Amino acid sequence: MSNNQITGSVRFENVVKNYGSVVALKDLTLDIVPGELVTLLGPSGCGKTTTLRLIAGLEAATGGNIFIGNDNVTHLSATYRNVSMVFQSYALFPHMSVLDNVAYGLKVSSIPKKEAYDKARDGLAMVGLKGYDERLPSELSGGQQQRVAVARAVVLEPEVLLLDEPLSNLDAKLRRQVREQIRQIQQRLSLTTVYVTHDQEEAMAVSDRIIVMKNAEIAQIGTPMDLYNTPNSKFIADFIGDANVIDCEVSAIKSGIATVEIPGAKLKILTNQTTNFNASLVIRPQNVSLEQASKKAGIKGTVTYAAYLGNQIQYTLDSAIGELFVVDNNMADMFKVGSDVDIILNEKKLVLVSK
Amino acid sequence: MRKTAIIWQIIGLLGALLFPWYMVQGGFFSFSWVGGIFSDPKNASAFAQGLFHQKWWLITSLLPLVGTALALLFIKNTKLLAKFLVMISIAGLVLIFAQGFIVSRTGARIFADLFVGGAGEAGQVGFGAGAFVVLFSQLFILTTGFSGLGKGRGDAFIVGLIGLIVSLVGVFVFFPVSHILIQAFEGPEGNLGLAEFFDNFTSSRIWGVRCLYEANSCGTAWNSLFLAIMTGAGTTLLGLAFALIATRTNFRAKRLLRVLTIIPIITPPFVIGLALILLFGRSGMVSEFLYDHFDVEKTRWLYGFWGIYIAQLLSFTPIAFLVLIGVVEGVSPSMEEASQTLNGDRWQTFRFVSFPLMRPGLANAFLLGFIESMADFGNPLVLGGNYSVLSTEIYFSIVGAVANSGKAATLAIVLLSMTLGAFLLQRMWLGKKSYATVTGKGDSGQHASLNPLLRGFCYATTIPWAIFTVIVYSMIVFGSFVKLWGYDHSFTFAHYIRAFSINFTDGIRFTGVAWDSYFTTLTISSIAAPLTTIVGLATAYLLVRQKFVGKQVFEFSTMLSFAIPGTVIGVSYILAFNVPPIELTGTSIILILVFVFRNMPVGVRGGIAAMSQLDKSLDEASITLGANSFTTVRKIIVPLMGPAILAALTYSFVRAITSVSAVIFLVSAKHNMATSFIIGRVENGEFGIAIAYSTVLIVTMLSVILLLQFIIGKRRLRRENRIQKHTKTKVAQA
Amino acid sequence: MKTGLKLGLAFSGMLVAFPAMFFAAPALSDELNMVCSNEQDWCDLMVANFEAKTGINVAMVRKSTGETLAQVRAESSNPKIDIWWGGTGDPHLVAAQEGLTQASGVDTSELQDWAVNLSNISEGKTIGIHLGVLGVAYNTEVLAEKGLNPPACWMDLTKAEYKGEIQVANPNSSGTAYTELATIVQVFGEDEGFKILKDIGENINQYTKSGSAPSKAAGRGETTISIGFQHDMIKLAIAGFPLAIVTPCEGTGYEVGGVSIIAGAKNFDSAKKWVEYVISAEAQNHGPEVNVFNVPSNKNATIPKEAPPIASLKLIDYDFATYGSSETRERLLARWDAEVGDLN
Repeated sequence: MSNNQITGSVRFENVVKNYGSVVALKDLTLDIVPGELVTLLGPSGCGKTTTLRLIAGLEAATGGNIFIGNDNVTHLSATYRNVSMVFQSYALFPHMSVLDNVAYGLKVSSIPKKEAYDKARDGLAMVGLKGYDERLPSELSGGQQQRVAVARAVVLEPEVLLLDEPLSNLDAKLRRQVREQIRQIQQRLSLTTVYVTHDQEEAMAVSDRIIVMKNAEIAQIGTPMDLYNTPNSKFIADFIGDANVIDCEVSAIKSGIATVEIPGAKLKILTNQTTNFNASLVIRPQNVSLEQASKKAGIKGTVTYAAYLGNQIQYTLDSAIGELFVVDNNMADMFKVGSDVDIILNEKKLVLVSK
Repeated sequence: MRKTAIIWQIIGLLGALLFPWYMVQGGFFSFSWVGGIFSDPKNASAFAQGLFHQKWWLITSLLPLVGTALALLFIKNTKLLAKFLVMISIAGLVLIFAQGFIVSRTGARIFADLFVGGAGEAGQVGFGAGAFVVLFSQLFILTTGFSGLGKGRGDAFIVGLIGLIVSLVGVFVFFPVSHILIQAFEGPEGNLGLAEFFDNFTSSRIWGVRCLYEANSCGTAWNSLFLAIMTGAGTTLLGLAFALIATRTNFRAKRLLRVLTIIPIITPPFVIGLALILLFGRSGMVSEFLYDHFDVEKTRWLYGFWGIYIAQLLSFTPIAFLVLIGVVEGVSPSMEEASQTLNGDRWQTFRFVSFPLMRPGLANAFLLGFIESMADFGNPLVLGGNYSVLSTEIYFSIVGAVANSGKAATLAIVLLSMTLGAFLLQRMWLGKKSYATVTGKGDSGQHASLNPLLRGFCYATTIPWAIFTVIVYSMIVFGSFVKLWGYDHSFTFAHYIRAFSINFTDGIRFTGVAWDSYFTTLTISSIAAPLTTIVGLATAYLLVRQKFVGKQVFEFSTMLSFAIPGTVIGVSYILAFNVPPIELTGTSIILILVFVFRNMPVGVRGGIAAMSQLDKSLDEASITLGANSFTTVRKIIVPLMGPAILAALTYSFVRAITSVSAVIFLVSAKHNMATSFIIGRVENGEFGIAIAYSTVLIVTMLSVILLLQFIIGKRRLRRENRIQKHTKTKVAQA
Repeated sequence: MKTGLKLGLAFSGMLVAFPAMFFAAPALSDELNMVCSNEQDWCDLMVANFEAKTGINVAMVRKSTGETLAQVRAESSNPKIDIWWGGTGDPHLVAAQEGLTQASGVDTSELQDWAVNLSNISEGKTIGIHLGVLGVAYNTEVLAEKGLNPPACWMDLTKAEYKGEIQVANPNSSGTAYTELATIVQVFGEDEGFKILKDIGENINQYTKSGSAPSKAAGRGETTISIGFQHDMIKLAIAGFPLAIVTPCEGTGYEVGGVSIIAGAKNFDSAKKWVEYVISAEAQNHGPEVNVFNVPSNKNATIPKEAPPIASLKLIDYDFATYGSSETRERLLARWDAEVGDLN
């Protein structure tokens, strides 16, 4: 392996993976550019881990081609792919000290022992575990073990770093800390990184781009902002962030603006569709504001639940358009449970998705 | 791929050019062949044989070797090259074996017209070093080619390993065993027919159920089956109790217990049976005592089911223990702790967490006990009375006054089908659950200690058992120091002196009568043990970690040699390896091979149990870190398999020393084994020297085992092996 | 890591001895490969004496007759054994019948009639080396304890007082027991004989697999009475067990031990020298040195005083030709299974 920092792209061309009659991936094509952190996000069983293992070479593709950098690696065994992986269970070698764990990949790549250990120490320092060299994995806390696993993968300076649900075994506080650290290291080394998670918040927090998968297929690819603001389906809207998805009637579409009718309101919403379609309306909780009930026409609702969280107030409303979840940043006054309110939607921020 | 293939190509060419193709007088390492590698018709290499000594068919069968060389030189496209290598090397293997089978010692067997005149009519002897080198090179070129085609995720090591083990099992298990099983279908005139087989197969001596409704005994098959189930269950239970005591309690004499559980396994056959007779026989010490003091009538109750059962429990409990200890140790403490934090009490923790996690171990222990009992013939021979079992029937069908190899083969098939049944049941019971407990997550908890009732039960079974074992073995040691065991108990060293005297007058001369077989036994066992371990664990690795076509069949075939009684294996080895191309009778190699392939199932079972507890992500982590499969095996799997390796090594070493039935036919004047020596003495009524020899063997094996334990030691996963102390305050824990 | 290293060391340590024997072809010349089915000490002594006398190197292993026969059969296409010495004549006769052995052509003029007889019926393929007499043994201590009378005849063994006290081998597995079966049939006639066998069967506590097992059990008091060859019993008695030996009053059968050269033996000349040696008086006289008390086949050899006094015994005229043939054997055994029968 060279000392130059090589980071590679990853490309899937019509990759298919079957386990017997079970389809784990159907016809996947994707492109990951050098240096970016891409998250594979989706519910369990969607094929995200399979995709990751295909990149690593731990599974063999049933069809299609996989490229890392310029090389077609479809039939290359995992050993010879310049890719490292951090496992969900960390997979630290229980019989080796922390230092031996981190130096393992270097040593098996015939790097002289001393150099390997030096690099490993640097790696441990990078993840903030200086001085833990001689410990056994069993003597570390979960978060420390996780960082050892990251260090072990990173010291190899891989073309692509793969992370399989790296935070799932950590508690909430630690999770934020570790994911920031991972992101920092990734950016410092500009490592092409593929990150698998089922936690959308985690995905939003670390990713350059997110690939949302569902039923062995890609549902949508985009930056966190794209996915949040312009979901292309009900599934994405629901999966990324909180959203109220309600039925609506599209009465007309003219020059990119759709006229949408819901009980109590008529809305003008941007759309890229040109003809009428069966649509649902996506309303993010913070795009709703509430006012004291008035005589005006509009959407009426009743507060059924209210929670004061310090920086925001969360309401659940019963309304003509169905149950609504609302986040209000107006901390000045708070509606009591049972009070009637007028519901005002921020038209510009609403999104139409097909049903 | 190309690089690997080129290396094997070069090795193959060297083998064909510079190694003697045939067996050489005095052995390969005498190097007496070096001078005649081209000129001597006996010692010449394959090319020289073909060019200068009229063995033209050797040249023909070596053409594929040249073919692969040309392919490697001229084909640049990797895929195409792989395809060529596969096809040509298959042709090579086929041709080499074909010529070996066609041209026998006395000339060609078929196609005689082709081999008219000269060397063809003179015939040829068995394969030598050169032939084996070439065969291996062709085999590995084949597997490398396969890996080049993308099989086994393109991993040449894995494909090679699969190829190697499949070939070895094929040649050293299927090939010989088929020789004897086919006799089940041979009619009186040597014609093949099913009638004879069905006559034998449906005989009421095998399947009779008279015991159900009158005071007769049942068919041998039912006897064997009942005994095997009882022994399997009994040994598993006792083994588990011992394993729990060794790992989950703070019992003081743990080490002693461990030694006690080992001793029976290292006891030469017949000795346990004899000791039991001297204790519980009609004129045994215990019987006499009970008669004298309590007026209990002296009977022959020992001869029959109970005698065999007790002896088998004594003999085979250690196997269950060896399998289970690794498994019980391996159950992750955090899972037990998890159960406890979920308000499970100690019994529930054991019942619902630890015990289910031990299932692979339990199933494997039971299967081994079952098979061992089925194949055991020493104990039924001595203690069987009128309780007839398949293994003894088979033995006497082969060596008895009326030898009937067809009947022996049929009985062997009955026995095999029972083993197969047990094997399939085991698979069903285990199902597809995951039993991984050693994961990549460092694990620092403490093993749950046993609940009092369970602990009580463990103590209640093991301690009496341990005491019983001590008594039986004191009897044995005692027997070696008395004039006439069982009759004249005056003290003497005479037996030891006869067997193991050393003369120091002019240099050291081993003058005792036992030394020869003693040294042979130790040498052969020490060679066989590590080979058995390697083959067994490699097979386990393939079975647990790799996916390939025909895995189930492969798994069962590795059990085959174990499930067949030794007598059958012994005879089948003679039938298969007495004539070219593979001629091994009378050598030590045949003894080593029979031990390796007969005992490897234990390594396989133990390895599978241990390996299914290792989280797969550990291997994967190693591989994604750039280690190849071989390095992964060496650096990750092997160290984590410490106990399993120790168990396999110990067991195969000991089995090689103590096995009888297979060996009896294979020992030769130069390579006589201790057990065959001991049996000769027992047959001759010289119990003293037989027991003295046995005692020396026991001591030898015990020292070797302790040495191995010291060298390999325990795997270091947690700093200490801690067991919760049950103090009222849970704070003060070690 | 360290563990791996240690493992490696352990393995390679054990492998060190391996090359020494790898690919060692079996030695084929300048020596004699023998399987001995006699007592180990007798085998050892004769080998030593023979080597000293002839200078031929003997590679010897001891195996029981059944095992040897099975091995000779399995190896018949490429025999590794040159000569088979010792054991009852029966399996030697079977081997001769199956063409597994070859005539040695040695001079048998010095031999007893029964030894020459064996040679004649096998066309010279096996030659008699010693005679073993069938007998009954009882444990004197147990017999006294139980207050039983010592048996003296075959007929005595059918008495109800011996119920559960007699042990004999199963003729299906043991040549000794077959000799007993054939003897009784020859003494009493076939129908009467089987009736007696059935009556004795009522008293049998176990049909053992091996022929010498009953006498060993009697020695230890595990059974009171045993049927077997007298030289086995004498040996046990001399070793110190309280055994008394009886030759049945109606007359008894015997076996003649054999020596045979294997067909296709690679060292025929040496093998022939061995045959000549073991039937010589000089060689046979060494027997008592190692507690071998059967009757030697050479007329000029001294009969050990411990041996059964054949002159005064009532030996039947055992018909080896008839009762050694496989048809008779199969017929008698089938009848035995049907009428007397092992318990299973």
